[in-house]
Amino acid sequence: MDLSQLPQQIVNGLMLGGVYVMVAVAFTLIIGMLNFLNFTVPALFMLAAVLMWAILEGHGIALDLTAIAVLLVLAMMVADRLQQARLPASVKTVGALGLVAGACVFLWLILSFKPGPAVFAWLDGAVGASGRWLLGIVVAFATVAVLSLLIERFTYRYMKAKYGDATEHALPLVSSLGFLIVIEHTVISTWGSDSLTTESPFGNASFELGPVLFSVPQLLSLILSLAIVFGLSVMLKTTKLGRALRSIAERPDTAPLMGVEVSRIVPVVYVIAGLLCATAGILFTINYTTVDAYIGDTVATVAIAGMVLGGLGNVWGAIVGAMLIGMVEVMSIYMVGATFKKIPIWGLLLLILIVRPTGLFGHTAIGKGKF
Amino acid sequence: MLLEVERLDVRYGRNHAIRALDLELAEGEIVTVLGANGAGKSSLLKAVQGTVKPAAGAVRLNGETVTGWSSPKRVRAGLTLVPEGRQIFVSLTVHENLQMGAYSRSDNFDREIDEIYERFPNLAARRDMLASVLSGGEQQMLAISRALLARPRIMMLDEPSLGLSPILVQSLFDLIADLNRDGLTILLVEQNTHMALQTAHRGYVLELGATVLSGTAEELLADDRLEEAYLGGN
Repeated sequence: MDLSQLPQQIVNGLMLGGVYVMVAVAFTLIIGMLNFLNFTVPALFMLAAVLMWAILEGHGIALDLTAIAVLLVLAMMVADRLQQARLPASVKTVGALGLVAGACVFLWLILSFKPGPAVFAWLDGAVGASGRWLLGIVVAFATVAVLSLLIERFTYRYMKAKYGDATEHALPLVSSLGFLIVIEHTVISTWGSDSLTTESPFGNASFELGPVLFSVPQLLSLILSLAIVFGLSVMLKTTKLGRALRSIAERPDTAPLMGVEVSRIVPVVYVIAGLLCATAGILFTINYTTVDAYIGDTVATVAIAGMVLGGLGNVWGAIVGAMLIGMVEVMSIYMVGATFKKIPIWGLLLLILIVRPTGLFGHTAIGKGKF
Repeated sequence: MLLEVERLDVRYGRNHAIRALDLELAEGEIVTVLGANGAGKSSLLKAVQGTVKPAAGAVRLNGETVTGWSSPKRVRAGLTLVPEGRQIFVSLTVHENLQMGAYSRSDNFDREIDEIYERFPNLAARRDMLASVLSGGEQQMLAISRALLARPRIMMLDEPSLGLSPILVQSLFDLIADLNRDGLTILLVEQNTHMALQTAHRGYVLELGATVLSGTAEELLADDRLEEAYLGGN
């Protein structure tokens, strides 16, 4: 084995781990707070990556899909307001029917006229093709943020309203799987299931440091993802919102007695987790330039492994676990080949769980002291 | 009346926990709610605080109907509950627990926290430690201090003496009387009947979710039926 390649492989492993970190932390945030494994996390990661690809490649339909997602969420919010408003039941019924009719007309307009490509052509003319990656970031963030609200409404909140018990996590888990399938198949039916490639808007910018080649976008991504996760953990540790989040994580029934509006904070958690996934997805497209409808599954299994390895619900555990997994993956491709790369990853996870069932930094009691 | 509970009904499925209960609390009073296990005392406090939805009846705070309000909204309106079993956040530090108590406020509360540390030096000594290191008595002090930081008009306490040694129970009831002298109105649910009646001005005795006896503390202490309510006999 050629050991001179080792430093390069370690660097590559760190870079890959940087992507996993954000997805693992997104999982961790939701499992730590709501005791619920949210399977829409990988779907949102994949969606952001594919949307970024689609905008870079100039697929106007991505804009149509975003418009539909925004429409759904706006309709949902108006419906919520309507339901809570002090109006006679008949007015509410008419309002709800009008809302549904309006949404259907809007949906029909978008689906039949497909304004995306035209909007795209106009934007390209106005900003220039180099502005596409900025547009991609905006579209990916916007779509994922509004979808997070939609998902919160129909996984966590729906189940809580229906069964009154946020700790019953099997039900939102299943409905989150439903969202995963819907999002994946929306992408597959739009762009197919093959690999989708593009060119990095930043080219192959790189520099050498001794024997190691650093790709500039990858390095910046790693720094960015670590900075975001660090900022998040400082937020959890020191701010009023962070304290509220930790109090909900420990005692969801006591936090409201302090004046914490749990039903308003849970959507914030979903959006934060969604934006972490979106950032990871965008960086994935820019760095690796090849995406497909299934990258979510791969990243999710690896990120879940990282999260479990580090200790469930522990942000720093997720970071170390994800970095470790990224490293093991790259090293095992380097040493035993890509065919067998899964064996070292899951073997390591199994070994560590036998020795330390709580993960590297986990607490024994799930639900207590998770941040 | 600062707090009025009118014909309140609480049901958990088939279980009828509170039946058409009336209760009044005037400004500056200590009122205690007594009764055996399962008499509906905790359900009453939960319905007043808004963590349990009543099936019927009304809760009025200072004349305003708050029955449909969420728990956090009632906290902001001056109603606070020290829950059974203290429920402090053991994954937060002592200081963070106190900050959580003031969550609903946007003004500066540093001076109030300092006053609490002066009153309870044990809390001050452990301010940056996780609240899990506190003893049962210290946890109860923290739970009450945390509730005080919401700057309530009414503080409800659910079995605060549970699991405390006799000396601590005495200092707990002294604290409750102190807070009341400073102007806080208190609704106290207790198993420790005699201590509660020595501190309170008035009391209600519940049985199977309904009031069977009420009156001033002196009247209740002298009434033989009080024992019967606890023994569940007729």
